[in-house]
Amino acid sequence: MPLVVRRPVRPLHILGWVSVLVGALLPFALGSQPFVLQLASQAIVAATLALSLDLLTGNTGLLSFGHAGWYGLGGYIAGLGAKFVAPEMFLVLPLTMIVVAVVAWLTGLILVRQIGKTFAILTLALSQIFYSLIFVASAWTGGEDGLQGIPVPTLAGLSIAAPTAWYWLLYFVLIASLLLALYLRRTPLGQAWLAVKSNPERSLFVGIPVVRLKLIAYVLSATLAALAGGLFTLFNGAVSPDTMSWLESGNILMYVVLGGVGTLIGPVIGGAAFTFAAQYISSLTDAWLIYFGGLFVVIVIFAPDGLFGLASVFWRRLFGPSRGQVAR
Amino acid sequence: MILQTQGLSRRFGGLKAVDDVSFAVAEHTVQSIIGPNGAGKTTFFNLVTGALSPDAGRILFRGRDVTGFGPDRLAEMGLVRTFQRTSIFRDFTVAENVSLAIRSRERRNQSLFLSRADEERIDTEACAIVAEVGLAGSERTIANNLSHGAQRALDVAIGLAGHPRLILMDEPLAGMSQGDRASIATLIVRLREEMGLTVVLVEHDIGMVMRLSDRITVFHHGRVIAAGPPAEIREDAAVRSAYLRGSFAA
Repeated sequence: MPLVVRRPVRPLHILGWVSVLVGALLPFALGSQPFVLQLASQAIVAATLALSLDLLTGNTGLLSFGHAGWYGLGGYIAGLGAKFVAPEMFLVLPLTMIVVAVVAWLTGLILVRQIGKTFAILTLALSQIFYSLIFVASAWTGGEDGLQGIPVPTLAGLSIAAPTAWYWLLYFVLIASLLLALYLRRTPLGQAWLAVKSNPERSLFVGIPVVRLKLIAYVLSATLAALAGGLFTLFNGAVSPDTMSWLESGNILMYVVLGGVGTLIGPVIGGAAFTFAAQYISSLTDAWLIYFGGLFVVIVIFAPDGLFGLASVFWRRLFGPSRGQVAR
Repeated sequence: MILQTQGLSRRFGGLKAVDDVSFAVAEHTVQSIIGPNGAGKTTFFNLVTGALSPDAGRILFRGRDVTGFGPDRLAEMGLVRTFQRTSIFRDFTVAENVSLAIRSRERRNQSLFLSRADEERIDTEACAIVAEVGLAGSERTIANNLSHGAQRALDVAIGLAGHPRLILMDEPLAGMSQGDRASIATLIVRLREEMGLTVVLVEHDIGMVMRLSDRITVFHHGRVIAAGPPAEIREDAAVRSAYLRGSFAA
């Protein structure tokens, strides 16, 4: 089978595009509930963040315990840029992504040569370094209080303040990133990533530049996380050091595992579902994290491909075999 | 000589795993390396294929000094290996395993686009290589679902996709059933006779080594103690005492 197969339109594609459309139309349904729209916007950021981690973990098998470092770093760079340079998104966000890409590239040169636990611990250490830098530079960053007073940003000169405008902007970034990630999965680069994940030693002997491919995934993953962080900071008007805490890194990892590592779509669902569930379940019981912990354990043991993997199994039972839906 | 080593050495702490080994392989031959466990065969293999760096000595491949080159660079130059434990991409299909190696040879593994025509050409070539190693009909099977012997053949097919000149095989018959051993042995003969390759084997099955090899090199305690055609090795007193203990079943 050739690498990219032009398949006929199938139920799954229809379902996918219908879901995308429903997501886009959500503000019309939620017009009278600004709180839910706000929550939905946060869920989209979480979904983008989860997708960014899956670009690394799902594609190359490298597990990061410090992904929130990139999210927070992006948030602070964008916040500082908007506050002290100009609150124009077309200026601030590309700048944020470039700076973070350079930082990720430089640190990645060392980190991606490590594997397994060593890599995971180093990512945690790196995110803690970013975290402490916030306090070192508290004159600029506001230290523990966070960076406040970020002006309402503009997009090509137009002020973006309406919640629906924000929703659509964040949603557009999520869907564009997801489509890009799904496209990459089908390219030779995406297939080579999966080969590196499946068997790094053999990949090297086949002539695949393993370290370079891991570095590309690492930089891409960090840059998308920084974009999510930058957008969220501008949306929120403030950013706090908590955004890059190890707890936040744990949450991101949970979105990915919950949704299904390596499935790209799964983590997006995981991030959104987790944000909504955390909001509603936490209002029912204070012990909600205990239930989540239990759910996490059950998923890791019984459904290693996450919610998306489970859904794929049911889908295949309904619509027959469709190899390739659960991405490797 | 397609491959030569000169005074190759590698220590691990106080142990001289490979000690001053000079070795040469002529083109279009099957050459085997034998020796007791711990003789340094696998370390030597790892040095030659770039997985380890030597402490001293030189490696020449097709006349060029390749000492210190990594596996990916050597693979590009036509030196590939198979592994003692079959090493394939288990969740890819058989054809995808080989296509991946073809794209690697064509330096397309970082491409963000591949035309339909290129995809089909690469797939066609992959299927042809799959057929060459005797796996025709299994192209769309997930590699993990193949039998042990077929996985080993796929390992060879991945190596062949790189258009190698020299293929190093680390214990290709290890853990194989009788039927699988015969088919892998046949494949090794075909690699040389039909595909014009040079093969270097590390193998414990002395009978098979005697039958397949044009030349045999014997390692003991990290050094070469004998080298020559099978008949000569069979009669070598040093080899008999060090390794074969006077018994030749073959």
